[in-house]
Amino acid sequence: MISLSKWWGRVMNKKFLFLTKASISKKLKSKWFLGVNIFLFVLLVSLMNIDSVISFFGGEFTEDIEMVVMDHTEFDSYSLFENSIKEKDSDFSKKLHLSKTEESYSKVVKEIGNRIFIVLEEDVTNYMNAKIVSDRKIDSMTYQYITASLQEVKYQYALLNSSVDRTEFAKISTPLEIERVILSKDKKDADENLETIMGAVFPTLILPFFMLIVFLVQMIGAEIYEEKSTRSMEIIISNVSAKTHFLSKIVASNCFVFVQGLILLFDSGVALLIKRMLGGAATTEFTKEISTIWTSLATSGFTEKLVYIIPISLGLLLLSFLTYSITAGLLASLTVNMEDYQQIQTPVMLILVVAYYLATMSSMFHGSTFIRVLSYLPYLSCLLSPSLLVLGQITIFDSILSILLLLLFNYFLMKKGLKLYKSGILNYSNEKIWVKVKKMLKKETTKKYE
Amino acid sequence: MLKVKSVVKTFGNLVAVDHLSFQVEDGEIFGLLGENGAGKTTTFRMILGLLEPDSGTVLLDGKRIDYTITDKIGYVTEERSLLTKMTVKEQILYYGALKGMEENEILKELDKWLKHFEIESYKEKKIKELSKGNQQKVQFISAVIHHPKLLILDEPFTGLDPINVRMMKDAIYQLKKEKTSIIFSSHQMEYIEEFCEKLIILVKGKKILDGELEEIKKSFGIKKIEIKAKDVNLSKLKEIEGVKEVVEHATNLTVFIEREEVVPKVFQLIKKYDVSKFEAVGSSLSDIFIEMVGKSNE
Repeated sequence: MISLSKWWGRVMNKKFLFLTKASISKKLKSKWFLGVNIFLFVLLVSLMNIDSVISFFGGEFTEDIEMVVMDHTEFDSYSLFENSIKEKDSDFSKKLHLSKTEESYSKVVKEIGNRIFIVLEEDVTNYMNAKIVSDRKIDSMTYQYITASLQEVKYQYALLNSSVDRTEFAKISTPLEIERVILSKDKKDADENLETIMGAVFPTLILPFFMLIVFLVQMIGAEIYEEKSTRSMEIIISNVSAKTHFLSKIVASNCFVFVQGLILLFDSGVALLIKRMLGGAATTEFTKEISTIWTSLATSGFTEKLVYIIPISLGLLLLSFLTYSITAGLLASLTVNMEDYQQIQTPVMLILVVAYYLATMSSMFHGSTFIRVLSYLPYLSCLLSPSLLVLGQITIFDSILSILLLLLFNYFLMKKGLKLYKSGILNYSNEKIWVKVKKMLKKETTKKYE
Repeated sequence: MLKVKSVVKTFGNLVAVDHLSFQVEDGEIFGLLGENGAGKTTTFRMILGLLEPDSGTVLLDGKRIDYTITDKIGYVTEERSLLTKMTVKEQILYYGALKGMEENEILKELDKWLKHFEIESYKEKKIKELSKGNQQKVQFISAVIHHPKLLILDEPFTGLDPINVRMMKDAIYQLKKEKTSIIFSSHQMEYIEEFCEKLIILVKGKKILDGELEEIKKSFGIKKIEIKAKDVNLSKLKEIEGVKEVVEHATNLTVFIEREEVVPKVFQLIKKYDVSKFEAVGSSLSDIFIEMVGKSNE
């Protein structure tokens, strides 16, 4: 014979699991979920392979360029020009057919057709000058490549003309080696390059989390609103407590967001795979860029910091998911129509946008006290605190303080919010929402509502 | 058995339910009447445990209402409380599971009820695609799928045609046979008269009348006479002491009287004419309701 408390626990647990499962299943089986994810998949694949997509549809930019160079200089400027163009952009050099001509200027110009004709000549005062002849307008990108290459040729030509041999010239061309020494002990890990890199990369990494929070707020709100507006809430709450119902919605929404996150990760993986399969110079460039960033991070010792940056960031995000879901659920319970819900959730979304912008701007305002203080605040800390931590603008202790504050805030939000939720979900009064909240809180203090 | 003992519920300065007491026996159909805003829904919400009374108790089978006992209650709300994007099957599975039932048990019961209401073909249809009447049937099924010990019916016949009303009535009588206590609320008094053995009338949260329906009607006595006769002298009829009003219809007359003793006096006058109908009629529930609620509001 099982005790009443055990039976109670079992039944409630069963109903909680049922509600959670039903809620997740409803979201995952909806046509919207399928439609949105197909759209997101196509969007991600297209964005990551945008170069291939654009090339596939073609245009003037895909046409081969035939360039004929007439070199009238002393030190083989044609070879310098050829090397300079090849180093510039592999996609550009692939479609370029460069050749040298010794024929007369007037003859080549007469037969120019689609070709670009370049004449390189000696100049007594300015070392060399060039002439670009074509039958029609050259597209701006190609023109920029040509002029930049010609400028380089002139620079190299001038050095060679000044009796600097090729070995010396190569030495001059190598990048300057800088040894960076920071004397302050607490700033010994600081790396200006790393900060620049993370300032550019981190906003891209937090963007999916921003999207997931938006999903979360809308999902939980829409579901609670639907149950309330159809009056099925009365039937549900007569069978399970408001607490069980609220918790099931929070757990289900967070599980859904987790699944959605995994799907986005999978989509990105597939998009990268497709990019790799399509190959091409862009992929090589992309891989090279990632590799450069990673090497830069590794040499600066940043990868070692990931051991604590990842758990802290995930902790903040998960706790913030809870904050946002409790808030969204609470707001939905207080509204009686969709317009009210849309209006009341707008400030929440704006706070999230503020957090996102501050996170992206944090690298520009190094050491800003304002941004640092905001990074402790719930709703903002999920995006701000990890950004500042990665940029080395706050310490691990600051982030732990943000986590503790968030934990404390969630506890109070849940405690107070649950009481409002209990009253709100069965309240269909058309009073202004803040009047309603005030009344409910007043009733709560006089213990009339439960 | 449901026992409501002196419950009070206030919302700010408004007393929604004022020291209300009643009892519904097993297998009894009990009428809860009142005009809009009389406190019926608040009473239902307290019975369902959705609202805590300020004072007084609600007991089902001797136990206070809490989540260990609400599985035994079924509720048909006045407004439809269905998740319209779900199919009929999904909706019933959802509410059934909330009542603690297993899936196979719910499906077995669902098939039985769908057959009773002749809507088997709608099992996989979305609720929003159904007519109002069929939605009402689904709502009824969702409230009785778990064989409740107590069933609250708030305007259960809304949107139903006479054939479907008959089906619903049969279902209610079946539940009565199964010893389900039923609280019935409707503004259609003929249904109350047909179903309820006992009733209560609420005005502004207060009970103004309660008891056995037959007793109540008897206590109100005969208040009108239906007459079908030719060339009746209406002036003489109106002169009889105790006659309140004479209303002329196309083929008959209705004579409203103050008390039962007036009936023989009217008969004495009418028998002189060519009479084909003379019927002394007791007060209908509708008459009683209008009279009582009207008095209370004066």
